[in-house]
Amino acid sequence: MNALKGAGRWWLCIAPMYLFTLVFVLGPVLYMVAVSFAQNEAGTGFRWAFTLENFSKMRDPIYLQCFRESFQLALSTTVLNALIGYPFGYFMGRLSAKGKRIMMFLIMVPFWTSSLIRLYGWLILLQAKGAVNNLLLALGIIDAPLKILYTYPAVLIGMVYGLLPFMILAVYTSVEKMDWTLVEASRDLGASRAKAFFTVTLPMTLPGLMSGVILTFVPSMGLFFIADLLGGNKIVLVGSLIQDQMTRGSNQPFAAALALVLAAMTTLMLWGYRKLTGTSELEGML
Amino acid sequence: MKKKLLALLCAAMLLLSLTGCAGSGKTSNDELVLYTWEEMFPQEVLDGFTKKTGVKIIYSNFDYDETMLEKLTQAKGGDYDVVIADDYIIEQAISAGLVSEIDKSVVTNFSNINPRYQGQFYDPEDKYTVPYGCGIPLIVYDPAAVDFEIKGYNDLWNPALKDSVAITANYRVINGITLLSMGKSMNEEDLDVIAQAGEKLLALAPNIRLIQDDNTQNALLNGEAAAAFLYTSQVTQVMAENPNLKVVYPEEGLGFGIMAAFIPSNAPNKQAANEFLRYLLEPEISKACMEYIGYVNTTGAADSIVNPMLVAPESAGSGEFIMNVSEEANDAYNRNWTAFKAACGQ
Repeated sequence: MNALKGAGRWWLCIAPMYLFTLVFVLGPVLYMVAVSFAQNEAGTGFRWAFTLENFSKMRDPIYLQCFRESFQLALSTTVLNALIGYPFGYFMGRLSAKGKRIMMFLIMVPFWTSSLIRLYGWLILLQAKGAVNNLLLALGIIDAPLKILYTYPAVLIGMVYGLLPFMILAVYTSVEKMDWTLVEASRDLGASRAKAFFTVTLPMTLPGLMSGVILTFVPSMGLFFIADLLGGNKIVLVGSLIQDQMTRGSNQPFAAALALVLAAMTTLMLWGYRKLTGTSELEGML
Repeated sequence: MKKKLLALLCAAMLLLSLTGCAGSGKTSNDELVLYTWEEMFPQEVLDGFTKKTGVKIIYSNFDYDETMLEKLTQAKGGDYDVVIADDYIIEQAISAGLVSEIDKSVVTNFSNINPRYQGQFYDPEDKYTVPYGCGIPLIVYDPAAVDFEIKGYNDLWNPALKDSVAITANYRVINGITLLSMGKSMNEEDLDVIAQAGEKLLALAPNIRLIQDDNTQNALLNGEAAAAFLYTSQVTQVMAENPNLKVVYPEEGLGFGIMAAFIPSNAPNKQAANEFLRYLLEPEISKACMEYIGYVNTTGAADSIVNPMLVAPESAGSGEFIMNVSEEANDAYNRNWTAFKAACGQ
């Protein structure tokens, strides 16, 4: 009896959090699902009449292309991040305690500034009369300023730059936790350095890489302000399409439908990735 | 004990919120509530009115026209004495009966308004509004980087401008100038014509360097673009930074956006509100305001003293307003816009 009473009170303590999540997380999502089936009206509003038109409209090649563009950008960002972030995180995990502290500090410092402000930094660096072009001109490597800003590579630079810390930290966490005696054992048993890495280290740090991939892939499917700022609005991602429809385009039901499909696609791809890599636990995400 | 403290705190908060309400509800004859966007007036102009009339100005602001209309509807045309907002929303406010006529026996200098900005769709008989300023998006280019003369929108399609045009990011405006360049209306409803405009926009894509709404003018200053299609305040800013640039009033026709002042139907202090409108129409005041916000001057009497950049030439004529179109037309405009942006990135 007493135990039951205690359980009741415990439930009361946790209830507000569940309520908060239900109301403020699940609520908006359900509202978005509902709106995605509503009918758009001229002007800014919409009316509650069931329609699938918002979804069928997405079959237009113009809108399909936005999905393809988003996917391509997210994929290239994630692959580049893994290629740079994995070795970085790996060697960071092998540093001395002091080295780790310093490195961690250096990775965290940029977070003290808003990411938007840091992007403006890139804007200044890359523009026609900016630092990079001035340097190249002064060194005589080029005779006319390169057009770097407002191109695809500029967007890719910005995306990789913005999301790299998440990959590094995720990999670092799992390298840090690794039991290095296992590597020593495999070496004792005659495995080469490469073999030890691929059969022991890599599988053991895979959960870290996996969470790094998720932490980069998911945001990069939705991040659009980097493409807008560094790409001059010329690379139309699903994110910017949603923003357009939500604000100026004033078609909220279409925006909701796009967001729903984007979320579904991202979930599906993550599920597929998990099946493929066979990892189920995510490191550094809890 | 803790519970008591909490109860006390709640009571205090409740009391505070109540007094807060009471405070905002109170209006007297020596106050004027001005409701508009942020940063629309230099402080001297507001102080000047208080000095002259003894009426204190309470500056209240909104972010979007729609917010203003909602608040005004809730207040049944009361609470605010003077509102400054965009043309299309004023039309809605007038048809909802939320606007009172201007007392021209108080606003004796009503004729100071440049007639070009009068008789517009939202107030065809000039009974309810005093224009505050006008926005006219224009082309600005750098003659040092462009070796031909730009006269209108069609010149933006010139292959010589490859990868060097910056434009603002309003889908209706960009669709609109394409339609103007084809001799059509900015508010075209015919889906075939809109589709033709979409085709024409795709041909503009190779020339586009960037599409951006904020600080678009910087592209001309930092060498990213040789020509740009800019909002009025951006035109003013960029010309102040580099007077060697050239401003073009496109020959195919202009887009207009007028911000105008009106007095709500149940304004608490209509006398002061009318006096404020008369004050706004004084040439010196109009000059100070327009030079502060960088919009085209609508008070004709101030044309001779205001920064010449802010006076639209007589030859430019009147412009067309962006209006709401049917849902189908709006969809088509959106589709054109997305296709155009994607083509720019190829």
